[in-house]
Amino acid sequence: MKLTAPSKFASVLAVGSLLMLTGCESPTETRTVDAKGPDVINTAAINTQDWANASDQLLASLLSSEALNNAPRTPAILAVDRIINNTQLMVDTDLLIKKIRVGLTQTGKIAVTNTLGLGERAVVASEAAELEEMQSGKKAKTLVPDFTLYAKLIQQTDRNSKLTQNTYSFQMSLVQVKTGLTVWEDEKQITKQTKAKPAIGW
Amino acid sequence: MKTPSCLRLGGALAVTALALLFGGCQNVNTYENAESRANPTYVADKRVVTDNTLAGTVRVVSINQATVSGNLLKIQATVENLKSSVRTVNYKFEWVDVDGMAVNSPNEVWKSLTLQGRETTTISTVAITPKAADFRLKFRE
Repeated sequence: MKLTAPSKFASVLAVGSLLMLTGCESPTETRTVDAKGPDVINTAAINTQDWANASDQLLASLLSSEALNNAPRTPAILAVDRIINNTQLMVDTDLLIKKIRVGLTQTGKIAVTNTLGLGERAVVASEAAELEEMQSGKKAKTLVPDFTLYAKLIQQTDRNSKLTQNTYSFQMSLVQVKTGLTVWEDEKQITKQTKAKPAIGW
Repeated sequence: MKTPSCLRLGGALAVTALALLFGGCQNVNTYENAESRANPTYVADKRVVTDNTLAGTVRVVSINQATVSGNLLKIQATVENLKSSVRTVNYKFEWVDVDGMAVNSPNEVWKSLTLQGRETTTISTVAITPKAADFRLKFRE
């Protein structure tokens, strides 16, 4: 049987449509990667490797500074002050601070107090202390912190015709409560360059 | 006497090729005091190489250690880019306690290191627990 021109066209169209539609049905593929490794997706924002990298560098700097050697007791009591996020990113600053807290606690030189400061941890700890006071009838003795930790995240964006550059600064200061002096502070920066997309792409 | 055009073309191509070859290089010149006053404690290291290409790109010159904050081990490695062009590698420090058990500290992360051509630099880390007795330094591309 010979195919006429319109029927040939219809056949080609049908086969083309079938190929196109089946091509769209590619299954999604997900793999687990090391969250602290180079396989994580690199974006213009701060990724998991950047958080881990910044916290490691700040922690190493603090421990190398010997600032904790002059603490009046061991472990010294640390209160975490405000962590200011001045970047354009909506990020939970615990991505940085939690790693610092875990690291400092593991050294055995620092114990972090939760009865001072902001956030859900402070609220629960304060309520627990009040409950303890009510039940025991004794005024709970809150330990005065020896140090406070303050941090700030800053983003600076620079552009030229080809690149957008984001520099994220992680600033951190350790203040001795007794003297009010900053006994350690440091700043770590991560700079990321992203190529501008062409105005018309195919 | 006129130079043949094919020779002129060949010469121009050779000059362009050399310019491209050497123009891409960003080597680093370094100056330091001739008689160092530093007295580092060097660590005798054991090396396991499974990637010869990587080993031919970045070389660990030396590793030294110190104790900070009273009882925490600090390790510093001096690394050198053996190539004449910019290279980026990833590295990670891992800690092991006296029983040979891995200390899973949160600061064991792969870090990116960019070295200019023939540049030598240092990388370092501090153990966050006094239990850390030994270290491992890993490199990957």
